[in-house]
Amino acid sequence: MELYKYLPKTNCKECGKPTCMAFALDLLQGKVKVDDCTPLLEPKYKKQYETLKELLGAEEGIIKELKINVDTDLCDGCGICVTVCPVNARYCPPTLSGKAPDYPPEKHQLFQVKGGKCELLNLEHCRRLESEGRERECRVCETYCPREAVKIEYV
Amino acid sequence: MRKIPCSGCSLLCDDIIVRSDGIFIDEVIGACLKGKERFDQVTAKNRIVTPMIRDDSDLKKSSWDEAFKKVTKLLKNSNKPLLYGFSTVSCEAQLKGLELANLLNGFIDSNSTICQGKVLNMAKETGLTLTTISEAINKADLLIVWGANAAESIPRLFNKTLFSRGKFRMTGREIKTLVIIDPVKTASFGVMGVRDIALQINPGEDINLIKVLKEECCNPGSIASEGVAGIDNDDLKRLLLHLTGAENGIIFIGQGLLKTQSKKSVIRELLELVQMINVKQQKGRISVILIGGHYNMLGFDHVALSNYGKNHSLQFSNNQLIDTDDTIVSKIEREDFDCSIIVGTDPISHLPQELSKKLAKKPLILVDNKKSATLRIADVVLPSTITGIESEGLAFRLDHVPIELKKIVNPPSNIFSDEEILNQIIEKFKLK
Repeated sequence: MELYKYLPKTNCKECGKPTCMAFALDLLQGKVKVDDCTPLLEPKYKKQYETLKELLGAEEGIIKELKINVDTDLCDGCGICVTVCPVNARYCPPTLSGKAPDYPPEKHQLFQVKGGKCELLNLEHCRRLESEGRERECRVCETYCPREAVKIEYV
Repeated sequence: MRKIPCSGCSLLCDDIIVRSDGIFIDEVIGACLKGKERFDQVTAKNRIVTPMIRDDSDLKKSSWDEAFKKVTKLLKNSNKPLLYGFSTVSCEAQLKGLELANLLNGFIDSNSTICQGKVLNMAKETGLTLTTISEAINKADLLIVWGANAAESIPRLFNKTLFSRGKFRMTGREIKTLVIIDPVKTASFGVMGVRDIALQINPGEDINLIKVLKEECCNPGSIASEGVAGIDNDDLKRLLLHLTGAENGIIFIGQGLLKTQSKKSVIRELLELVQMINVKQQKGRISVILIGGHYNMLGFDHVALSNYGKNHSLQFSNNQLIDTDDTIVSKIEREDFDCSIIVGTDPISHLPQELSKKLAKKPLILVDNKKSATLRIADVVLPSTITGIESEGLAFRLDHVPIELKKIVNPPSNIFSDEEILNQIIEKFKLK
C-alpha cells in the first residue's frame, strides 16, 4: 500500500498490468522495475518517482549487510531468543527444558546467554542469509523478545 | 564445569553451566540476570564476613563465641520469641528453625504467610490440581498467566514453558496458546503472538470475571452482551472456548490475585472454577502452578506440614503446637513478642513502616549473608553461607518438586551454613 500511494493511480495499462494496484504488488515482489511505469517518468511525477526509488533502494541492486543488534542494557537473559531461533532448534540437542545452554556452543548456534546477558555468536548461519523463499523473512528473535532488546537491521 | 541448579528464584533452573576452580566462579552460562546476581553475591561488596554485636548503638565485630553467648542470653531472657524468614534457606535449616521454635516455645512464620501460603490453606477445602514444569514443556497447550508479570519476576518461565519444544508439542510456540490477565500492560505482553489472548482487566474485578466464567460453565449462553470487568464479549467467549477445550491447560497464579482488595476470596473462586471445569471436561484438564518469589518458600510449607501439620504461622507452647489465627503481621502489630530471630530475609524493607518501627523496638538476631536494612537495627548478626553455591541443601521448586542444591565454591573462612548456626544456637541453649 505504501508503494501504491506514490504511483499515478490512473490505471493507464501502459506497463502491461490491468491496474496500478497490480503493478505495486509486482513491484514489491521485484518482478518489475520503477522505470517500467512510463507516466511516472513525466516531470509532474518527479517527486513521487524519487521517493519510490528511495523506498526500493535495497531491491535495486545495492546489497545491504545484515546486522542483529542485542541491547545488553535491556536484555535480562531470559533466553527466549536461544530457544525460539530455528537454527538453534535444528542443531542443538533437545532436552527437558527446551534448549539447554551448551558449552562449548554448537558451531551453528546463533545466540547464547552468558553472564546474564544474551550474546550473538555468529551470524553466518542466520536464516536471513542461508535459507530461501519465505524462510528468509524470519524475524522470530525480534518478535518474541519481551524486552525488545533484539533488533534486526540492514546497514 | 558442570550443570548445577540455580537458586536465584523459585524456578530453580537445573541447566546452568558454571565454570569454577573451587575458589572463584569464572563463568555462568545460561542463567538469567537474576541468577547471575545470585552467583555474584559470593564476592559482593555487601557480604557480611564476621559476626557482629551491637555495642552502644554501634555494630562491632566479634568472635563467634561472644556472638553465641549474646544470643543465648537474649533468648534466656525472652518469653515470647518470634522467628521469621526461612524462605531463602535450605529445608534442613528450616527443620532446625522449627526445632528451635519448639524448644523456645515461640512463634515461627515464613514469608509464605504473605505469599502463596494462603492458597495452600484454601486448597484444603476446595482441592488443588497441581502439575509440574516438565508437564508444561511436554504436554501443555494452554498457559494462563493471571496477575503476574512473569517475564520480569521469573525471567526464564516463558522460555521453559511456552517456547520450549516438548515431546508431544514438537512445534513449541505455535501449538501453545498464551492468555495473560493483568490490569497493567507489563513486559509479559511482549511475548504475545497472533493467536494469544491479552486481557486487560479492570483493577480489583477479577472476582467478577471468575463468577461469570463459573456461571457460563453451568448454563452456557448466559454471558451479558456488554462483557464484564472491562473485557468485551468476544474475548470472553474465546477464553471460555480455550478453557473448556484445552487438553492440558495450566493456570499460573501470581501475587496479583492474592492482594486484591475485595472481601470475598478470589483464590477460592478460582480453585472452584478449575475443579468445575475438570469435572465437566471429558478429554483434558486444567491445573494450577503457584508463582512465588523466594527460591525455597514452598520448602517451609512442606517441612512444617509434614512435621507439625500446619504450613505456616506455628505457635508453640509447652513444647507442642497450639491452634492460633495469628500471623507475623498481627503478632508484630499487637507487639506480642519480646525478641525476634530473622533468618535470611529483610522484613524492615518489605513490611509496612508501622510494623518495622515496632519490630525495631525489641532485640533482633539476624542470620543472613548480605547487608540489608534489617542489619541496621539488629543486635546480633550471624553471617551465613549462600545456600546453593557455598553449601548444599534441599529446596522445593514452584511446582512442588524437590531439587538438591549443590556446593560449587568453598565459603569464606570461619563462616557456617544456616543449618549449622541454628544447630549451635539449639545446643548452646540446651547447655545452660
